[in-house]
Amino acid sequence: MKRRIAVLGLVAGALAFVAAGCGGGGSKTGVQGASHTLQNGKSGGTLTILSVGDIDHLDPGAAYYQFTYAITYVTQRPLLAYKPNSIQPVPDLAQSMPTVSNGGRTVTVHIRKGVKFSPPVNREVTSADVKYAIERGFDAAVGNGYASAYFGVIKGAPTKIGNTVPDIEGIQTPNKYTVQFQLSEPSGIFVSALQEPLTAPVPEEYAKKYDQGTQSSYGNHEVATGPYMVQNNASGKITGYSPNKQIVLVRNPNWNPKTSWRPAYADRIVFKEGFDPSVATRQILSGQGDANGDFPPPAADLKSISSNSSQKGQLEFTPTPGSRFVALNTQKPPFNNKYVRMAVAYVLDRNAMRLTRGGAIDGKIATHFISPDFGSHGFNQAGGFSFNPFPSPNNAGDVAKAEAMLKKAGFKSGKYSGPQITQVADNQPPGSNTAQVVANSLQKIGFKVKTIPVQHSAMYTRFCGVPKNAPNICPNVGWIADFHEPQADLDANFNGKNILPANNVNWSQLNDPKINALMAKAEVELNNEKRWQEWGQIDKQVTESAAAIPWIWEDSPTLYSSKVTHASELWNGGEPDVSFMSVNK
Amino acid sequence: MGAYIVRRVLWAILLLLVVSFLTFVIFDVLPSADPAVLRAGRNATPSLIHQIRINLGLNKPFYVQYWNYLKGVALHFDLGYSYYNTESVRSEIFSRLPATISLAVGGFVVWMLLGLPVGIVSAIRPRTILDRVMMGGSLVAISAPVYFVGLVALFVFAKGSGLVNWFSGAGSYVPVTQNPGQWFGSLILPWFTLAASFAAFYARMTRGNLIETMGEDYIRTARAKGLRESKVIAKHGLRAALTPIVTMAGMDIGLLLGGAILTETVFNIPGVGRYAYDAITNSDLPAIQGTVLFGAFFIVFANLVVDVLYAFLDPRVTYA
Repeated sequence: MKRRIAVLGLVAGALAFVAAGCGGGGSKTGVQGASHTLQNGKSGGTLTILSVGDIDHLDPGAAYYQFTYAITYVTQRPLLAYKPNSIQPVPDLAQSMPTVSNGGRTVTVHIRKGVKFSPPVNREVTSADVKYAIERGFDAAVGNGYASAYFGVIKGAPTKIGNTVPDIEGIQTPNKYTVQFQLSEPSGIFVSALQEPLTAPVPEEYAKKYDQGTQSSYGNHEVATGPYMVQNNASGKITGYSPNKQIVLVRNPNWNPKTSWRPAYADRIVFKEGFDPSVATRQILSGQGDANGDFPPPAADLKSISSNSSQKGQLEFTPTPGSRFVALNTQKPPFNNKYVRMAVAYVLDRNAMRLTRGGAIDGKIATHFISPDFGSHGFNQAGGFSFNPFPSPNNAGDVAKAEAMLKKAGFKSGKYSGPQITQVADNQPPGSNTAQVVANSLQKIGFKVKTIPVQHSAMYTRFCGVPKNAPNICPNVGWIADFHEPQADLDANFNGKNILPANNVNWSQLNDPKINALMAKAEVELNNEKRWQEWGQIDKQVTESAAAIPWIWEDSPTLYSSKVTHASELWNGGEPDVSFMSVNK
Repeated sequence: MGAYIVRRVLWAILLLLVVSFLTFVIFDVLPSADPAVLRAGRNATPSLIHQIRINLGLNKPFYVQYWNYLKGVALHFDLGYSYYNTESVRSEIFSRLPATISLAVGGFVVWMLLGLPVGIVSAIRPRTILDRVMMGGSLVAISAPVYFVGLVALFVFAKGSGLVNWFSGAGSYVPVTQNPGQWFGSLILPWFTLAASFAAFYARMTRGNLIETMGEDYIRTARAKGLRESKVIAKHGLRAALTPIVTMAGMDIGLLLGGAILTETVFNIPGVGRYAYDAITNSDLPAIQGTVLFGAFFIVFANLVVDVLYAFLDPRVTYA
């Protein structure tokens, strides 16, 4: 999960992360809002992107945050990447889409000729650079957060992570321009995972000295393959990055436009950090900034902009690939009883919950997990907008149906009469307000809810993510898929095999053998249509299990200044694609 | 005097030790986030988290971690590395210090220039309309939160976000060595925002002290000797009335040198205060510890300086 939800949650007090969206219709898979001019932009000029916080890591081997990716993908070239407004990966460093053979156990990728590293390396990229890049992802000194999850299926990938770069036998380089992956078993998502920044080439002879020890410093010396590079000096030391202040991208002199589909209009891109969201919003409207990077404009500003005919064209809403949900602990009473969970699913006032984040402008009320932007990649197969196993009038909860479920669970009065239950929630709005709505809803059917408020990150890392400390309810959890494969949306959260003693993200600890078996089958299905169909059905079953109750599919707003063309990354929750933006005035 | 200073320095060191220990304890005991998990990311395996925990030294007992930290600070002035982005905390703080000093010292000058004259005028014209207007205004300034005042200033006066484009806005700060003109322009609004509540408080303090002093017997004696009123106020009244103000000023400037968190945050000034804010939001213990120690150092140091200055201002004070 790219860490936008997590990281923004950390600063929720300052930001009151109120992602916004088009409350009405809008396309299922497209960016909603203004039209786009992605071609024939004007070359030159400087783009200024404003942000509240900082990126997590410059190093493509460690980067794992939506805002970071907006920089990573224009400075680095993974094997695959996305064009703005699309969720279909296309070749980037790769010459063509990978070929899968040997019953799904061999994946072959041919890389482009003529792609060169930026100074001071200056040489052509080879397949060995891709091999080293992925291998260093298994080095704790680099600290990649997803290498094992997506690339652990490669033969020889270590299960025990140490402070060295392993030699992985399953990554083979038969020639300078071919990388071949030998997998221990077929994987339906391996090809999609090749768009992760971990596959962006890293020159071993240059990076190795920085990868020594317990903490890699390659990020402070990284070289680029994309159209831009972080400003550096002659020795390669990064000079254009001041943490929490700014990041300066300049043109990569070794980038060959003939090898890339990125137009790269601007000469220079400055990411200015540390802004108050409302101040930054005004600066973008006045043209001092060109787009928002890591924060949604405040809800009041969004409403004002949306109703201003001269400004609303500057605003775009992009659906985020995921949902927010309430996780119920299925491993202990009372939520080890399916009917009690279903009672909760019926009684939750999802409309009031959505209001705690700004109301309809924040997005649609979720009725299952795979979000609308997945479209034919599982959302439609799960029943689209019409699948709602726990309907209620105006989404405000249905006490009668909830009581009927409790009766089935053995509570003859239709009211819960067991011991007090506990929820661990955010200690500040909007999460704390959402938790209060959950508690109020449950009180309608007899629950007494004790709320323990903690910092958002502590909620994840000390309580909800640690099964032995897990409360009955985690009301403030959410997930954004790394890419538009439904497995990336569902597997980590609901597969029983993923329950871990720490850093557990199966927050409801759902371990349903039937669902586990369906997932195991879908994980190795190589046919896209079949796989998406299977995951659509899994989504239905997980939702019907009421192990967790989804309540919002959020939309992310991106505000552009009037002097630039728009280009939002649909695949990346609406981050501006700066390689497609141009300064027109 | 020498012995006194040595004694105070030793107390200061002890105080810093206590502050650092308490920060460690708070981070360890209270349910803050697990830095190893935050660093590893949501999809990370237990194996990776385990290795990162070892790399960060988080697998060691609390007291060992604290001892290692103290050794690093004492022997190498090493404040550790950020859990969040692995940057050196010491380098980060020092790179941000000029911005914080610029803000704190400039703000101090502004609030003294505003607060003292207003307090003096109010004191020598008590219960007049002028006095009531100025004291009423100061009450408003004290009551308004800095964050609110800063946003109002930006939304009214700042280029890019204000109704009138008079002054540079948020994110415009540059080091004085880079462009002195822009440096000055970028700090006008922050200085006044920071100074507003301080100036108001100092005005009220000055007024109260001066009114009290002006009722003393020696003031009456000075008047009886035929001194002009202005001389009585300036030479005899103010000197005594300002002594507690100097104490407060020393403490306040020390406090601000540790970082003016809200002002730096709202105006996006890359100072120590902003760094502290980011550290807290990221559960970044080394950065939190570094900024707390740094702030505590300035407060303790300012206290020491004030105590020494006291002797010069007030001959009745002696150091045993």
